[in-house]
Amino acid sequence: MSGLRSFVARRLILGAVQTAAVVLLVFALTEALPGDAAVALAGDQPDPARVAAIREAMHLDRPAHERLADWAAGLLHGDLGTSLASGRPVVRYLADGFGPTLLLAALTVALLVPAGFGLGVLAARREGGPVDRLISSVTLAVYAVPEFALGVLLVTVFALRLGWLPPTAVGYGTDLPGHPAVLVLPVLVLLARPVCSLVRLVRAGMIDALASPYVAQARRYGVSGARVRYTHALPGALAPAVQQLARTVDWLLCGVIVVEALYVIPGLGTVLLNAVAERDVPVVQGLAVVFGVLTVVLTLAADLVAHRLAPRAGVAA
Amino acid sequence: MRKPHTGGVRKAAPGRFVLGAAVIAVPLLLALLGPLCAGEPGPRTVSFTRGDGHWLGTDFVGRDVWQQVLHGGRPVVVTALAATALAYLVALPVGLAAALTHRRWLEELLMRPLDVLLAVPSLLLILLAATVFAPGATGLALLVALVNVPDAARLVRAAGTEAAARPAVEALRMQGETWWRIGVGYVGRSMLRTLAADAGTRLTGVLYLVATAAFLGVGVAPDAADWAVMVDRNRTGLFVQPWAVVVPALLIVALTTGTNLLFDAALAGGRGRGPARPATTGAVRTAPAASEVRT
Amino acid sequence: MTHESGTAGRTGTTAAPVAEIRELRVEVDGRAIVDGVSLTVVPGKVTALVGASGSGKTTTGLALLGEHPPGARVSGEIRRTAEGPIGYIPQHPAAVLNPARRISALLTDIARTQVRHLPRGRRRAAARDRVLTALAEAQLPDAESLLRRYPHQLSGGQQQRVVLAQALLLGARVIVADEPTTGQDALTKSRIVDQLRAVTARGIAVVLLSHDLEAVRALADEVVVLRAGRVVESGPAQRLWAAPRHEWTRRLLDAGRDLTAPVGATGGTRPVLRIRDLTARHRDGARGGTVVLRAPALDLHPGECLAVVGRSGSGKTTLARCLAGLHRDHDGEVLLDGVPLPRSLRHRGRAQLAAVQYVFQDARAAFDHHRPVLHQVARTAIRLRGAAPGPATREALTTLARLGLPEDLAGRRPGQLSGGELQRAALARALLARPRVLLCDEITSGLDTVTRRGLLDVLRALLRDRGDLSLVLITHDLDVAALAHRIAVLDGGDVVEQGPARRILAAPDHPFTVALTQAARPQTGAVP
Repeated sequence: MSGLRSFVARRLILGAVQTAAVVLLVFALTEALPGDAAVALAGDQPDPARVAAIREAMHLDRPAHERLADWAAGLLHGDLGTSLASGRPVVRYLADGFGPTLLLAALTVALLVPAGFGLGVLAARREGGPVDRLISSVTLAVYAVPEFALGVLLVTVFALRLGWLPPTAVGYGTDLPGHPAVLVLPVLVLLARPVCSLVRLVRAGMIDALASPYVAQARRYGVSGARVRYTHALPGALAPAVQQLARTVDWLLCGVIVVEALYVIPGLGTVLLNAVAERDVPVVQGLAVVFGVLTVVLTLAADLVAHRLAPRAGVAA
Repeated sequence: MRKPHTGGVRKAAPGRFVLGAAVIAVPLLLALLGPLCAGEPGPRTVSFTRGDGHWLGTDFVGRDVWQQVLHGGRPVVVTALAATALAYLVALPVGLAAALTHRRWLEELLMRPLDVLLAVPSLLLILLAATVFAPGATGLALLVALVNVPDAARLVRAAGTEAAARPAVEALRMQGETWWRIGVGYVGRSMLRTLAADAGTRLTGVLYLVATAAFLGVGVAPDAADWAVMVDRNRTGLFVQPWAVVVPALLIVALTTGTNLLFDAALAGGRGRGPARPATTGAVRTAPAASEVRT
Repeated sequence: MTHESGTAGRTGTTAAPVAEIRELRVEVDGRAIVDGVSLTVVPGKVTALVGASGSGKTTTGLALLGEHPPGARVSGEIRRTAEGPIGYIPQHPAAVLNPARRISALLTDIARTQVRHLPRGRRRAAARDRVLTALAEAQLPDAESLLRRYPHQLSGGQQQRVVLAQALLLGARVIVADEPTTGQDALTKSRIVDQLRAVTARGIAVVLLSHDLEAVRALADEVVVLRAGRVVESGPAQRLWAAPRHEWTRRLLDAGRDLTAPVGATGGTRPVLRIRDLTARHRDGARGGTVVLRAPALDLHPGECLAVVGRSGSGKTTLARCLAGLHRDHDGEVLLDGVPLPRSLRHRGRAQLAAVQYVFQDARAAFDHHRPVLHQVARTAIRLRGAAPGPATREALTTLARLGLPEDLAGRRPGQLSGGELQRAALARALLARPRVLLCDEITSGLDTVTRRGLLDVLRALLRDRGDLSLVLITHDLDVAALAHRIAVLDGGDVVEQGPARRILAAPDHPFTVALTQAARPQTGAVP
């Protein structure tokens, strides 16, 4: 058990370092701006008043380490600064965009896990049969497709040709739960890549486990088929799949940004893209920290679950 | 205990190979040869029209879509290939050095910073950079390479460590072989198979990232001839002139899917040809070696 | 339906067979792995299937369980006359224990099927009782905490006993044990033999698949000798040992018999290798590492063969690795002709490298799979003696041929050679350095009896023909140690005894050596 404890401790320390690194990296990037940061951020036609305003808002006249200390202290209090573009607190931006993004992500994960494991186990059980071949081919093909290309094609077919679903979320505001039809395409697109990857991993793991000597022993000793499958084979197949779930966090995040842009959903991704376009550094910084910390925490959780499922792997860690 | 190689994987491979090659052929040929046969760009006309001498209609600023399609593949493909090559250029020496060194601190020094970098979501890092710089195609390739280095280096290190721990390496040292011959001639060679498998998935991932970044406007001019940019900019006219969106989107789908299918088929075919180890002796390795899962 | 395990002991006294195989033929890809094998399994008796690896033992054993290799064509008759399941203990018990589940998982599932007749509320407790009883019967103490552990947290012996407990819990009337003693040291072997004997005392029939003749000798009532899938000879064990009818059986028995002591023991000359105050550590998180070996003084004379004997984990391999420069983490001195050898290979010169050579336990893993064996063997002469590629290859060919590896085999890649052939090539690779000291680390373990015999003959010829070559044999096998002039016995990292081989084997001093030699002695009949 001390192995588990030291693994958790090591992993927590790494997570903390990663979080700190994300914060530093975000801050360092603004420092790396060539020349006068205020001029650079003011855009193509820097008008002196705006440059002065930016300099004032970002306290650019003070030394870098003081600003970092201030900013970090603000972070701890939940104060992420104010937007250069609008002067509103960054926290307000986050609060506005949080709802739609959370809804998208929660729906996706809620569907991802059963779909991924279900299809993976199904394909493994029918290894080599038509069902398996269909699942394997489709997952292999869709796995690599960028969300925007898939999304655009789905819109063309289901919104344009067939007229079944609305093409974008324009006009629905933030009241997405009230219009489930709006969410169908975004969630489908968001699901595509993670589901494919998960299905392939679960399938491969299950096939290995079903052919393993320990499953043969359980069968030999009269344990029923379903029990062998789900309590003996599946746990062995889970570990790599859960590890992949951690990787999926990264994909979901990329996916959310693209899908929100594509379907015009007013979530965090849209806020981020707008801020990037306007070079609104404080907003980008705030979002980057939130996204970064979220990734670290979710990856940490997935790693811990994977460690619990495959205690042996932790020995090497 | 004695499990004969199942022939199934191998038999399936040629069919999948042909399928992958067929799927990738169209976008790849367009990307490589398109710019050569595109000819002079015609005059700009009305945006989002169909017909009128324009086979696929016109785009959001009235350019011929077919012309744009012919030009638009090359940046995606070239950037992706460059980024993949760059990623390995850094990851290989770093990973190999970390695998072969006996100095613990050097290994930590090489690998730990990469672990930290791994925590940042890839697209986020690219967008962050885009906020402060305006990266061109080269900048985008560098950024995409950068986000791929940690993972690739870890893979190289894991494969290298596994190979370096084999008795064969100690036997080579007993023979007085040089570091170069052991490191590159044996360890490097033993890793080739793993690397080939990784290169396929990595190229697919890089294609994804390059296209997505371009779609979000990173590393490209707003009116660039680039399939991803075309999808983005012509979306406004989707109802009037879908071809300007659908054709480049389909080409990107074919490009990524084809890459994936092709590599998968190639590796499945190769698996049958692997170093055949007849289980003749009683010493059958069992206990599945705890594959290195490091954090 | 199988809740009468308690009565198994009493019904077992009748001699009616519980299972029978008649004219079994198993064919894979048109090649017969097993051809015309017949055997009967009698309660309370041990039926041993003996033969070299690849002779069809495992295939026959699994056929009893109704399992066949994938894609196999099976003919013949497999009859199970008694009710009840058959247990299976594979060669590597770790493989049948699920790495992702605790030890209790499968045991509880087996017990669960046996308590269905009880009212729902009492099932859980009853199942647990059965599991604990089975673990106790398999001589596993502290069962409660054991059940909560994962397979990788158990020792190899515990894993084997857990698998045995599974079979006992199942109420198996027949247990198929596949190579249970192979690769184990003498003490562990004798423990396993006792355990299997205890199993038969319960009236359970044991089918022993083994090429370990000592274990077979100690246990078997009936012996079936297999060769290339065919029965060469079968009959009661006593008769077979006393008067083997078939030529192959005789060869097999000869191969297992004691090897004659070597000729020309030397002494009086200056030692070629001396060890002074050697302490070796393993780095394992603990500060400073754990000491795994303490060897105050050990000498090796030219032309002498020293066997280093001990159980696994006794530090014998570490000793050899220190000498070879493969284990850097040690204090003390290793002197070659009176000159200290650098600790690490890296700092040894060509001549020093060539002088002390090492042959690895796992020959297959010690070769590069991409290059022909001949090429790899010749590299030694090129790197360590500065030979040109042409002469080096010629020398490699002659050395390989002398060790019994003809030219057509030498040109192949390692994947196309057998374990025994590869080990010969590994010997040739080391010999091409013209070493003063050759360290052989368990080079015969994992090989079957006949192959092992061949390899030992090679070593003996080496000692005879190359007068000044000193051999260090690292082994857990006293038969191999009998080849040596002197024996050093290691236990828990300490050299507990050293001296002339004859004296150590015949009249050991130290209690550990006594236990080791006694365990290795053939024990027939004795019931604990």
